[in-house]
Amino acid sequence: MLPLTPAVFHILLALADGEKHGYGIMKEVSQRTGGSMRMGPGTLYGSIRRMLASGLIEATDERPDPEIDDERRRYYRLTEFGLRVAQAESRRLDQLLQVARTKHVLAPQGGF
Amino acid sequence: MTPVRIPRQVALAERCYRLLLLTYPAHFRRTYGYEMAQTFRAWSRETLRAEGNLGLLRLCGLTLSDLIATSLKEHGRSLLLRLKQLMGVMPPGGLDALALAAPMRLQVAQHTDIGCKRSVNDDNLLTVLPQDPQTFKDKGALFVVADGMGGHTRGARASELAVTTVREVYYQDAQEDSAASLVHAIKQANALIYAENLARGIKLDDKDGMGTTCIAAALQGQTLTVANVGDSRVYVIHAGQMRQVSRDHSLVADMVREGTLTPEQARTHEQRNVIYRCLGVQAEVEVDVFVETVEEGDRLLLCTDGLSGSVEDDEMLHIVQTFDPEESVRQLIARANAAGGPDNITAIVVHVTGQN
Repeated sequence: MLPLTPAVFHILLALADGEKHGYGIMKEVSQRTGGSMRMGPGTLYGSIRRMLASGLIEATDERPDPEIDDERRRYYRLTEFGLRVAQAESRRLDQLLQVARTKHVLAPQGGF
Repeated sequence: MTPVRIPRQVALAERCYRLLLLTYPAHFRRTYGYEMAQTFRAWSRETLRAEGNLGLLRLCGLTLSDLIATSLKEHGRSLLLRLKQLMGVMPPGGLDALALAAPMRLQVAQHTDIGCKRSVNDDNLLTVLPQDPQTFKDKGALFVVADGMGGHTRGARASELAVTTVREVYYQDAQEDSAASLVHAIKQANALIYAENLARGIKLDDKDGMGTTCIAAALQGQTLTVANVGDSRVYVIHAGQMRQVSRDHSLVADMVREGTLTPEQARTHEQRNVIYRCLGVQAEVEVDVFVETVEEGDRLLLCTDGLSGSVEDDEMLHIVQTFDPEESVRQLIARANAAGGPDNITAIVVHVTGQN
């Protein structure tokens, strides 16, 4: 399953601190990456479909988000398995970064 | 019904986006189309607020390129799935079909009433619950309501042509995609009524011409597909709340959406009966499509404006929630007549009572 596609990893991270609806995920990803990762609805729901099928996330309930409007929205949350996959992917990337640091491709942690 | 104001640019962009959603494979669109449109709307609205028209334009560009790429990807995946099925690697239907296949048990009641003021009933309705399990699985149940207009009995003729043509064409259409089937069926009905108008030498604005609204809902597993022209309605009642699925093609509904009229004002507005889209007056007609997922315990209400224009939403919700379909239909019609019964009244109530 690893490496994850950027969209899937971002969605896992967006859901790591609690369930969100589709637009909530989209907004969080855009904010966290300073707008550099902008997912369209097609990428978002294509990824959601694959992640539901492989058990990384699950749909919870439908309820309105009073911050947006009074429409009912479906919420998604991380499964146990999804959390473990996100951890494994983070460790994989961390190891990769350590290699980059030892080879001085990337400055040591904390600096640039 | 929702008091949140949607800016015109956002409404236009969303309409285009909903149309473009048709490029996705049917399974994908049925499952996520509604949420995608909902997400797109919220995103557009917030982008317009924060970044203005230019931001909205950028968003549309991004969405379009995203749509092309992901639509191709989803089609590729469906093709692969089909190939695997052909070679016997996967069971027919694949993964998506498992979730969609479970048929619902339905309780249905329907009735049409002339009302108190009209001399003829121009409404027509029908329900089809296929007996053949394969047809039920492939095409699902069908509910159609039409509100005809035209002098003498022409309105009744138009609405009858609409509901019967939709039934015939929908069940004969072999394509899997319910939305495309329903749109095709309504367009056929339009062509037929238009041809009959032409054959009788009727000009477009002639009083002798006939036309009709038409709303058709197909329920296949948990997927409800609604196709609409005019101001007849489909409501879904879920968890104690009633939501209109269709969008009226009426002047007052547009004014309510734009925020220039409140729903209460629309109810008594003197042009409340004016619709700008119906079957029979032009060779081509544009059909709106809405896709919803329904659950066990949900209720559906289809009706003409003789009901929705006379009885408050809260009251309709209360009746449909409290009584079984038969009693609901009886009470809905009684309430509309008690409110003066100015128009013909038609209602179909469906209870989704669970899986077989």
